[in-house]
Amino acid sequence: MSERTYLLPLWIRLWHWTNALLIIVLTVTGVSLHFADPKLPLVEFSLAARIHDIAGLALVAAYAFFALANIVTGNWWQYVPKPPGVIDRCLKQARWYVWGIFRGEPHPFPVTLQNNFNTLQSLIYWAIMYLAMPLLLLTGLIFLFPEFAPDRLFGMDGLLPVAVLHYLTGAAIVMFMIAHIYLGSTGNTVGAMYKTMITGWHEH
Amino acid sequence: MFHSFNKPLVAVLLGASLALLRLPAVAADAAPVDQATIEANRKANAACYECHSAAAVKKPPRADLDLSKLKESHIEPAIFNPSDHGVMDCRQCHAKNHYTEYPHAEAGKTTTSPCTECHAAKSLRLEPQFNASVHAKNSGLKEKFSCNTCHNVHVNVIQKRLKDPEKIVAQDNHGCLECHNSETMFARFAPDDEKLAGGKKKRPDIDTIHGWLPNAKAHWNAVRCIECHTPEVAEGKMLSHEILNKEKAEKKCLACHSANSSLKTRLYRHLVKGEQQKYGFTNSVILSNSYVIGATRHPLLDNLIIGLVLATLLGVLAHGVLRALAAMKRNKDQAK
Repeated sequence: MSERTYLLPLWIRLWHWTNALLIIVLTVTGVSLHFADPKLPLVEFSLAARIHDIAGLALVAAYAFFALANIVTGNWWQYVPKPPGVIDRCLKQARWYVWGIFRGEPHPFPVTLQNNFNTLQSLIYWAIMYLAMPLLLLTGLIFLFPEFAPDRLFGMDGLLPVAVLHYLTGAAIVMFMIAHIYLGSTGNTVGAMYKTMITGWHEH
Repeated sequence: MFHSFNKPLVAVLLGASLALLRLPAVAADAAPVDQATIEANRKANAACYECHSAAAVKKPPRADLDLSKLKESHIEPAIFNPSDHGVMDCRQCHAKNHYTEYPHAEAGKTTTSPCTECHAAKSLRLEPQFNASVHAKNSGLKEKFSCNTCHNVHVNVIQKRLKDPEKIVAQDNHGCLECHNSETMFARFAPDDEKLAGGKKKRPDIDTIHGWLPNAKAHWNAVRCIECHTPEVAEGKMLSHEILNKEKAEKKCLACHSANSSLKTRLYRHLVKGEQQKYGFTNSVILSNSYVIGATRHPLLDNLIIGLVLATLLGVLAHGVLRALAAMKRNKDQAK
């Protein structure tokens, strides 16, 4: 039997799958609202609006839990790229994705309990979780309580910059999600990392 | 019945904001009234304001005035003058012959000229619509309604002159909510219903009947009740006067929340002619006032986002296929 490490505690896994489910629901309903068109097979508008509001608030709660638990457990440290050599390590990782992976080369930075994420991964996760997500949630909350939006801006409704920022950060997270789901298959076997995300155990 | 002086408080509240507009003195569907006539009319009206104004209620010019009645029949020039009828002499509607002395002749207090006297053509066109309206079809209601019931003749300004959607919404919704959000006013017009105790229909709670509508309050500030409670009309045409009940009213959100938003033929019908796709946005005239999800879009930004998402999908798909092919080749090579 191969060596294995208990990498992901229950709280991270529960949060991850809650987050995943909510983001999928918010993507489907968000697309139905933004691209509303009688000719497209989308979720009915008022239903999509209600689901989006509820799932959005649930995501705010899930994020608050994530941010707090990260502080309490010290897990936030995983998201910090550690110098020196950050750029070199990112380039090495990127080279593996575009070249090494096709040649069957081993992972340049094997997973350890101390370094769960490779440097490129920690940089992108940081940008998504600590930059895009807060912006997405904040703009979503203003959307929900538009009285906090500026009244008017550049001769347009003041909600416009809030809406555009919500749209852009939402799109960034959808693109991240697509790549994230796919890159989950790049473990030692195609299913290895998905399994880790369910059981918490990483097989070396 | 023409309720001429029944809305002094409403006039003060709503008119105060409209008065700030200082709109040009142009009649709704007639040629502009010349300045000399306006001045002559205003001068004549000044005689009425001597008693029929808030100042006169506070400081009566005569000792024998019935102040309780005067309180219900005063008009503010600052509100009346910028309104659609503000260019007119009070006596054009309020029977001229009965206002030569005080106390006024009894007929003067109850007689006003019918709106059709000036608005004959429009009235003829609107009458079938009104007759199909919930305000005419409900039992015992038609006789209680006049134009002034919904359109306050001493305050209102037509949409074409008012232009600002926010002010149009405030003015027009006020006309609806004055009754539909007030037990007292609703009871005054309540249709007969023998099945109910008291024989009158009870006022439906507005929040409850709009419970299905997400962000109902945001809608009420941004659009008029009549956007949904009147049938669709052809582009460029005036909105119908057939007020629809909750069963018949528009419930499809996409009527407004889509690129081909019906708001263009309704609240924004006078502004839409000036549509210039400001900053590249579709329906930018709507966006200048309200961000309406699904309607106020940026096609270029949408195409860019769709392109990026598709590129991500195709990218991971291509990467996956190449990985599989490379793995198969490696396995084959190892087997050799």
